[in-house]
Amino acid sequence: MTVLTPLPRPTGAATRLRRRHGWLAGVVVLLAVLFVVRIVQIPTFGGFELRTIIAGSMALAFLAMAQGVVVISGGINMSVGALMVFANCVCAKFMLGQDLLTCVLIGIAVVALCAVISAVMGYVITVSGVPDIIVTLAISFVIAGSTLVVLPAPGGGIAADLQPLIVGGFSEPLPAVIWLTLALVLIWLPFKRSRWGIATYAIGSQRGAAYLSGVSVAATRMRTYALSGVFVGLAGIVTTAFTGSGEPRASIGLAALLSSVAAVVLGGVALIGGTGGLLGPVLAAMVLSLIPAIMLGFGWDPNLSEIARGVILILVVMLGGYVQLRRRSA
Amino acid sequence: MTAATMAPTGESRGQRTARIMAEKPVIALLVVLAILYVITGVQDPTLFAPQGIRSVLLLACPLAILAAVQTVCMLTGGIDLSAAMIANFAAYVSANNAGLGPIASLGFAFLVGGAIGLINGIGVGVFRVNPLIMTLGMSSVLVGVITVGIVGDGFLSGSTTILSLVKSVGGGTLFGPIPLNSIVLALVAAILILGLGRTGLGRSIYATGDNESAGRLAGVRSWQVLIAVYVIAGLLAALAGLMFSGISGSVGPDQTNSYLLPSVAAAVIGGTSILGGTGGFGGTIVGALILTVLNRLLLGLETSDAVRQIIYGAIVLALAWFYVRVTGQRAD
Repeated sequence: MTVLTPLPRPTGAATRLRRRHGWLAGVVVLLAVLFVVRIVQIPTFGGFELRTIIAGSMALAFLAMAQGVVVISGGINMSVGALMVFANCVCAKFMLGQDLLTCVLIGIAVVALCAVISAVMGYVITVSGVPDIIVTLAISFVIAGSTLVVLPAPGGGIAADLQPLIVGGFSEPLPAVIWLTLALVLIWLPFKRSRWGIATYAIGSQRGAAYLSGVSVAATRMRTYALSGVFVGLAGIVTTAFTGSGEPRASIGLAALLSSVAAVVLGGVALIGGTGGLLGPVLAAMVLSLIPAIMLGFGWDPNLSEIARGVILILVVMLGGYVQLRRRSA
Repeated sequence: MTAATMAPTGESRGQRTARIMAEKPVIALLVVLAILYVITGVQDPTLFAPQGIRSVLLLACPLAILAAVQTVCMLTGGIDLSAAMIANFAAYVSANNAGLGPIASLGFAFLVGGAIGLINGIGVGVFRVNPLIMTLGMSSVLVGVITVGIVGDGFLSGSTTILSLVKSVGGGTLFGPIPLNSIVLALVAAILILGLGRTGLGRSIYATGDNESAGRLAGVRSWQVLIAVYVIAGLLAALAGLMFSGISGSVGPDQTNSYLLPSVAAAVIGGTSILGGTGGFGGTIVGALILTVLNRLLLGLETSDAVRQIIYGAIVLALAWFYVRVTGQRAD
């Protein structure tokens, strides 16, 4: 008598969609709910509030992208905050009193510089064999020191006519939306679909297997860090445009690092690597800046929002861990 | 004796040195420490006097205990980035309750440390949250809690007095060049080194960090091990916070924050792998001494804080790189 094992039933399209994009959909719903709460909270909700939310979270969104690509490749980049502060200070120092065109050129140079610094970091990680968390932590010290050499005290500036082009004017949310969309569509999507992008996901999900199938792990890691540097540079430019000056304080970098990791995790990129995309982290960055605003609107102590941010981060990750546990045991 | 354990014959002196270094990396670290100490001493001769030795030990001991937090966590493949905030919080709680007597005051401090560690442990052990995220999030929660506590008439807003016990143990002198806080370090070192090497929990910590699935199959309940590790980490962080407040004679909401990264660096330089399973507290103590002497060397240089920070980061990276070269323990 032969025992027939029933064939596993093919997973339905709905299940696949839920599995693949379920988390992202959750983030979208969360963001929508928060927007509704905010709109109810402020009766005069309009362009100004929208601009505050989107332009205010733009730097964090770029930083979350920078952290996201590295996390997708199975690593972590502890230097994104320090490098963003560095980019901010370099921009502010050299853009002060320049015209629009020079400022744009400086911006391009800063993005290139950040990409190079970040790629060097990736190179050191692959050559030395020191864990990425240690390398990026140590180099973030070097970067923070260099920032103080470039700009010892807060100051600098940016061409006044460049600012509204990047972060929008007083009540103009469109530029920020356009830039974020462009970054996702023109940088991230082509990268994700290219061989380089597939290699990034491959080394993130199973480094040994990727190596055995012919992926150059070292080159892929370096490329990932270079792309991360590009996003960090953009975050630095946005910070300069938003604040209009450079601020070399190291604590800003630390807070930005924390938020970038939070946005990545909340955005559905698992820290073990190999899954997720960059749209989630961008939306999560907006969620993270909306929450304190809403809490302030309810008249809460601003310090409580710091606690809430940490608690939300922990709860979200716990929920994620719980979901994964359930899936594994099912 | 099997052939495998015998030293291969015909190896050159260089190969032999390399093998010994790879097997006992602490020797290489001690050489680095000695060289660094002599260089610093040439620049600042007081370092060879008892007072100079005392000043290095005085700062190295609390750093070593904060690095002990990272060591136990890293042995399981984790990290505790909330250690500095736990230390600040515990020192604050102790100073705030100094009026209740030393037992209650210290008791509250360790209670706070242990309780926060327990939450970290439940997150990491039961909910499988990445330790980096769990403790980073906890750190941001604690920043908020302390800030809320000390403003207005919050729960930490009362007067703060450092216990005389904490002051004398944290900043006093035992004899000659030996500060009193090295006794605390010696006790912690004895407990940790014996505990990690000889007890069931200690072996389970290594097993969890080395290969969690294999450990589980061998009967290690890794979630319990992780909870225990983070509770121990919380208690050690509270102890480090008390010792730092004993040196400075004051408390502050961000007093020990600048020691967080050095504490991770001390453990890494001391040979504890951040991936778990290898290392120990002995190397960490040497790592803490190296970083303290390095700091002293940089303070003596006539240069700006910015340049000092650059050199510090570069040297920490170089030391970590050197360690990987010597032992061959690559991360990938």
